[in-house]
Amino acid sequence: MKLDTSGFETTMPMIGFGSNNDMLDGFCSVPSFDLPRTTDFDGFQKEAVQMVKPAKGTTTLAFIFKEGVMVAADSRASMGGYISSQSVKKIIEINPYMLGTMAGGAADCQFWHRNLGIKCRLHQLANKRRISVSGASKLLANMLYSYRGMGLSVGTMIAGWDETGPGLYYVDNEGGRLKGDRFSVGSGSPYAYGVLDSGYKFDMSVEEALELARRSIYHATFRDGASGGVASVYHVGPNGWKKLSGDDVGELHYHYYPVAPATAEHVMEEAAE
Amino acid sequence: MSIFEYNGSAVVAMVGKNCFAIASDRRLGVQLQTIATDFKRISKIHDHLFIGLSGLATDVQTLYQRLVFRHKLYQLREERDMKPETFASLVSAILYEKRFGPYLCQPVIAGLGDDNKPFICTMDSIGAKELAKDFVVSGTASESLYGACEAMFKPDMEAEELFETISQALLSSVDRDCLSGWGGHVYVVTPNEIKERILKGRMD
Repeated sequence: MKLDTSGFETTMPMIGFGSNNDMLDGFCSVPSFDLPRTTDFDGFQKEAVQMVKPAKGTTTLAFIFKEGVMVAADSRASMGGYISSQSVKKIIEINPYMLGTMAGGAADCQFWHRNLGIKCRLHQLANKRRISVSGASKLLANMLYSYRGMGLSVGTMIAGWDETGPGLYYVDNEGGRLKGDRFSVGSGSPYAYGVLDSGYKFDMSVEEALELARRSIYHATFRDGASGGVASVYHVGPNGWKKLSGDDVGELHYHYYPVAPATAEHVMEEAAE
Repeated sequence: MSIFEYNGSAVVAMVGKNCFAIASDRRLGVQLQTIATDFKRISKIHDHLFIGLSGLATDVQTLYQRLVFRHKLYQLREERDMKPETFASLVSAILYEKRFGPYLCQPVIAGLGDDNKPFICTMDSIGAKELAKDFVVSGTASESLYGACEAMFKPDMEAEELFETISQALLSSVDRDCLSGWGGHVYVVTPNEIKERILKGRMD
């Protein structure tokens, strides 16, 4: 049983390409997937959603400043209480001048970001110029909206540099799309916002912004159980993105808060207990 | 997440040659949020008897206070310290008293008995005793701890080697658990001294 997607055709201009062109097959319209054969479709859907749900355990953030966009994320994947990996790549390179962050289902984020990359490239070939960040995020938001309620779990930020300057959009699986200067997504986001909001200035240098992003991710990994591993920070400038640092947060803690050796008075106190 | 995973914990005890070691993590959390990184889970009952409690933090503290009270009464009446085996039976009885509204914690008891023979045991939340000759574990990281201890344990280790082994087992297990870690607390007890050490671990 195939879902009828004729209502979701995008109106992307495809001048010059014949309709029987194999290369474009499947990419002109929203990809369609087979539906499962089951007697209880709604119940099956609900179970599928629950299976993917625990995975928004993460911390990602992005902010616009004078020199471009700073994007940072942790690298932990958790399944309930179990840490399944400490080395997940949560910053996805859509193309050399655009980045996407991953929060939610890993498979969902990876697939849809790659799909977005394909669509961006096709736009570039069809229109002889790069797609804007606004356009790219709109493409993604529309694709996700057409799958609304089907259990996708995607909480992503699209960051890039186009003709109008730096751009940052938040897109999620409900089909929501927000333009903004500062976003943080995931279970660790409240902690990251605390540090990010208090240290943010538009006129920061790249080094200051790097330190702010790194510190925000570090604080989120300290307080949130579902965030941890490595804090990666990327910078998107006029010439594209560049990875600036990837520090293990275990070592970052002792870098920010070195262990002070216990003094003699401390030892006395404990003996008197 | 179940109520046993509300605060997050990891406790392990190991037997050595005429000594024992008991270790725990230091995190106190409310589900995924970390509240404190210096929570005491292991407490001394007397110089040769320690109890580590994992599970709901409020029950950890209350149960410990009740057990200290009972042990002090025993000391007044019998004019000596309780043997570890007797203490284990006491804990089991106190937990079963609350069979239909239990304390939501799992104790790990470690002590030196007659002839300085080490004794360890663990219990579930309603008092089922489980004695072991090598190691016992409890808490949210217990499955990882079982694996780590099984791989690293050797019988008849001396105090220093036992400390290294239990520390490595604890740190590597809590690094696979979101809800426990943020440092470690290890006690190594021999007939003549108690050595307490704090471990530097990953704070994420």
